[in-house]
Amino acid sequence: MSTRPSTDNGDTATAGTAATAAPAPAVELTGITKRFGTVVACDDVRLSVQRGEIHGLLGQNGAGKSTLMKILTGLVRPDSGQIMIDGGEVSISDPLVAAGLGISMVHQHFSLIGRMRVWENVTLGERGHVDRASARRLVTEVGDRYGLAVDPDRAVEDLTTGERQRVELIKCLRRDPDLLILDEPTSVLTLKESHELFSVLRRVTKEENKTVILISHKLDEILHATDQVTIMRSGAVVARRRTADTDVRELAREMVGREVSRLTAGSAVGALDALVEDIGAAKEAKEEDEEREVRLRVTDAHATGRDRRPLLRGLSLTVHAGEILGLAGVEGNGQAALGDLLSSLLELDKGTVEVCGKAVRAGRPGAMHAAGVGVVPEDRHVSGCVLDMSLAENLAMADLGEVARGSFLSPRRLRSRAERLISEFDIAAPGPDIQMRRLSGGNQQKVVLARELAADPKVLVVAQPTRGLDVGAIEYMTERIQKAAESGIAVLLISTELEEILTLAHRIAVIHRGAIVGEMTRAEVDVERLGMMMGGQAA
Amino acid sequence: MTALTTRLPRMVKPAALHTLLLYVASFAVALTLAGALVTLTGKSMSETAYALYQGSLEGGGSIGLSIDEATPLLLVALGAIVCARAGIFNIGQEGQLLMGAMAGAVVGLFMPGPGWMVMVGSLLGAALGGALWAGIPAVMYYWRGVNVVIGTLLMVFVAAQLAMYVVTQENLLQEDGEAGARSPQSNLLAEGVMLPRVGEYPDLNVTSGVFVVLAATVAIVLLLRHSTWGFRLRMLGHNPAAARRSGVRATVLGGGALLISGAFAGMAGGIMLSGTIGRFQPGMADNVGWEGLLVALVARNHPVAAIPVALFFGGLRAGGGFLASTGVPRYLVSVVTALLVMAAVFPAAYAELSKLRKRNKPVVVEG
Repeated sequence: MSTRPSTDNGDTATAGTAATAAPAPAVELTGITKRFGTVVACDDVRLSVQRGEIHGLLGQNGAGKSTLMKILTGLVRPDSGQIMIDGGEVSISDPLVAAGLGISMVHQHFSLIGRMRVWENVTLGERGHVDRASARRLVTEVGDRYGLAVDPDRAVEDLTTGERQRVELIKCLRRDPDLLILDEPTSVLTLKESHELFSVLRRVTKEENKTVILISHKLDEILHATDQVTIMRSGAVVARRRTADTDVRELAREMVGREVSRLTAGSAVGALDALVEDIGAAKEAKEEDEEREVRLRVTDAHATGRDRRPLLRGLSLTVHAGEILGLAGVEGNGQAALGDLLSSLLELDKGTVEVCGKAVRAGRPGAMHAAGVGVVPEDRHVSGCVLDMSLAENLAMADLGEVARGSFLSPRRLRSRAERLISEFDIAAPGPDIQMRRLSGGNQQKVVLARELAADPKVLVVAQPTRGLDVGAIEYMTERIQKAAESGIAVLLISTELEEILTLAHRIAVIHRGAIVGEMTRAEVDVERLGMMMGGQAA
Repeated sequence: MTALTTRLPRMVKPAALHTLLLYVASFAVALTLAGALVTLTGKSMSETAYALYQGSLEGGGSIGLSIDEATPLLLVALGAIVCARAGIFNIGQEGQLLMGAMAGAVVGLFMPGPGWMVMVGSLLGAALGGALWAGIPAVMYYWRGVNVVIGTLLMVFVAAQLAMYVVTQENLLQEDGEAGARSPQSNLLAEGVMLPRVGEYPDLNVTSGVFVVLAATVAIVLLLRHSTWGFRLRMLGHNPAAARRSGVRATVLGGGALLISGAFAGMAGGIMLSGTIGRFQPGMADNVGWEGLLVALVARNHPVAAIPVALFFGGLRAGGGFLASTGVPRYLVSVVTALLVMAAVFPAAYAELSKLRKRNKPVVVEG
């Protein structure tokens, strides 16, 4: 075991109070409360995790899961509450203390340096002399022990996302932690990689009696991989269950706070099985697809980023009027570049974009919009809206013609247009003059969607439309996207959440390393095959 | 100062109080420091303060002088504001102003025609000269990616060299006269080419350039707030990616803003030339370009707020000039006015910095 402060022998001291048969839990949090201004992130939270178990922490975005774990790893100080490790009370004032206590966390976004080799990344932060040979040996040893095979001499930027996560895990495991926390570890993995990850976690807990906390908002993987589950909602713990004694519906209900339909459960909380069963129903829905007019055609698109890295490598796709094409893929395979291309933000080295049969010059400011491509971008703050301008101004943006007289804006028209869209799209805002920055994420998303749909687009691109939204907002977006397709708009849905794609898409294309590697209709979906294509294997 | 803070745009009450206190505190510190310095050098603080007041506010003549000084400052600030709204930082107004004055002098001295026509031509030439000087860094930025701040700044030094060169060459702009008795400056403009003055000395009298500047202010306020151009400019400044998506061409709009800013600085030089100084001198910019930038900063890039701020800075320049004429050493005058300028700038700079810090703070509320 690693060296750590005297908490190990604290067992005898607390034996009096915890004299029952069960050993003291590996981690016990009681009465943890944390406020950020008026927002209560954690409200009197109690969490108890036994040694040697995989404990699921389930909740929607904003439920307080991450904050709770940041408290445990010393990144955030709680306002009140008690932390017990192996029965002894501790005060975790900073991440170094947490590391000393044997607590280690793999964050959702990797902290690796692409240009450096695997062994260099693993030894990063070490002081004194760096011994290359022993570092490489360390990577191999830890890799063998947990089944995390990765070549120590490869540069991290050449690795797949799954391999990168293995490097992150090796970074943690080599310090021999007692408690391993993983924050949404599968959001960047293919199905197969996720399953491999879970078997590693199983080995870590069964064979070495370590403890794992798995943060997730996906029901499937909680059911799949955990022993116990604690469910959080709006900062409070609402339920604790033995995983074996519960099911998807109960988990979904507890997490959301009400009954949800099967389809919503699918896209909002990640119950894949329910969706695949629905295939039969979807089958007869869209048979006459082929005859519909092609609205968007991208042919052999090649593009490079500013750092000369290729972003798109011969991507071709078509979207027909009235259909939803779901573009599935693991994050970072060119989805962002495609979104940028259709937002006029990216120039092509080669290839063409046609909207309704007419070629559109890529990268020319406003060209895509003028051609009838509406985009709800992946990160609405980057190109979707202007946070420092008003709601009404954000609803106008490219469509100044409607609110201007000559070269001057008409405040009256700006306002009336805004009021119309606010009520039509159900945007919760005190008025059209409020600064965009002060709206909630869900409402900002609605503003972007409202503006893009108000321009009567021929093609609508929605990228990660539900990321970071709560269930209500997800239901809203899902419904709007479906309606848009029904009204004849060609919809391109770019998402890394397979569940979202299975819920909405009529046809599915898979993107990998900047190109489309396969296509299938909704009726022929085979999750295994999709997963393999997303991982870059021919299927 | 109260008038100034309440004029600042969209202030909520507690923030306004906070700002006011900040201004009071920073002026108290500046005045204490200035007093200490003046006393140390054996002068009287009260006499110094009185001289500053005499030079800037006592009687129509002094007030007129303050307004004369404020006029080019406001013009420079307006240009800086247009640029800042587009998210571009032009800090080369000192050079653009000088080049504007030079171009204005060339037109004013050599263009044939009736006086009023030459006068208008000289002002337009000045605007064009400033715009061209700002155009060089604009081209460097949009063509080769040279940072605008660095480009505009370095052009200031080129401008200073060029100005000195043209007034030391007899076949260029150097004044006529006996060899050896010529100063490094141009001939005086003809009487009819000078901007007429409004009012009679010793009563309130100002250059008619002030009306040009006020008209420019009104135009800028209207355009920024109500025109589609202003809308796109703000969009570009706040979020270039969203602007590009919406069809804003950064080269045209941003480059245009830079040219406008240069034209305003050049026009300021033209007004100084034909409004007060009467001839081109390489030292005539006299920090007006830099101080105009400070006016924009203190006014938080709001054109209406820039008017009182420019008047304050103009008063300080007029008062400082008078103070020097009472026998207080020039360097002490500079230090005292610099302290007061810093007192005026500090609260705005502080607000900018804390805004930046707030924005960079990581958001941890997400669960």
